[in-house]
Amino acid sequence: MSVIGGISAALSNATALSQTTSSVPKAGSAAAGANTFTDTLQQAISGASGAQNKADALAQQAATGDLQDVHDYMIAATEATVSTELTLAVRNKVVEAFNQIMQMSI
Amino acid sequence: MSTVFSALDTTRSGLGVYRTWLNAVSDNIANMDTARRTSDAAFQARYIVAKADDGGGVHVDSIAFGSADGRVVNEPGNPLADSAGNVRYPDIDLSEQMVDLMVAQRGYQANLSVVDRVRDSYQQALQIGK
Repeated sequence: MSVIGGISAALSNATALSQTTSSVPKAGSAAAGANTFTDTLQQAISGASGAQNKADALAQQAATGDLQDVHDYMIAATEATVSTELTLAVRNKVVEAFNQIMQMSI
Repeated sequence: MSTVFSALDTTRSGLGVYRTWLNAVSDNIANMDTARRTSDAAFQARYIVAKADDGGGVHVDSIAFGSADGRVVNEPGNPLADSAGNVRYPDIDLSEQMVDLMVAQRGYQANLSVVDRVRDSYQQALQIGK
C-alpha cells in the first residue's frame, strides 16, 4: 500500500471515530446491536461504581460491628480497586489515541 | 456465568466455608469440658458438611452433630452428679479438634493467597502496553 493510501485509510478511520463521538448525545437511546464506545465506557463506569458501592456498604457494616466476614470486605475492596483501575486504563488509552490523532500534521 | 471476578467470587465462597469450620471448631473446644447431668444429652460436637456449588465455589450444606451420649465420668464431687456420682461429658477429642483447627486455618490461608495471586495477575494485566 502506498503512503497516500495509508493516510486515506487513517483518515477514514478518524472519520468513523468522529461519527462515534458525534453520537454521544444519543447514547441514552442506544439501539440494540450498535454498541458504541460510549456505551462500553458507561458500562465499565457503572460496574466500577457498583463495586465501590458494595465495598462502601461492607465498610459501614465493619464500622458498626455487623460485618460477618472480614474477607468479604477485603475482597469487595479489591474488586472495587481493580474495576476502577481498569476503567481508568481504558479511559487513558482512548485519550492517548485521541491526542495522537489531534497532533497529526496534515 | 463467568465474569471478570469469577476467581475472586469462588475464593470468597471457600473462605466462607473455612471461616464456618473455624467457628465450629472453636465451639467444640470451648465446650470440651461442659458437664451435664446424666439424664440430659451431652454437648454434641459440631461438624460442617461442605458441598460444591454448581457454577464453581463451595458452600456449607448442613451441620452434622457428634454423639449425644458423650462419656459418663464418675465425679461424686460435681454438683451435677446423679445418685451414682456420675456426670456426662461431651465426647470431644482435643487432639482431633486441634488437627481440624490447623487444617481449617491452612485452608483459609490457602484461599487468601489465591486472592493475592489473582489480584496481582489482574494488576499485571493492566500494565500491558505501558
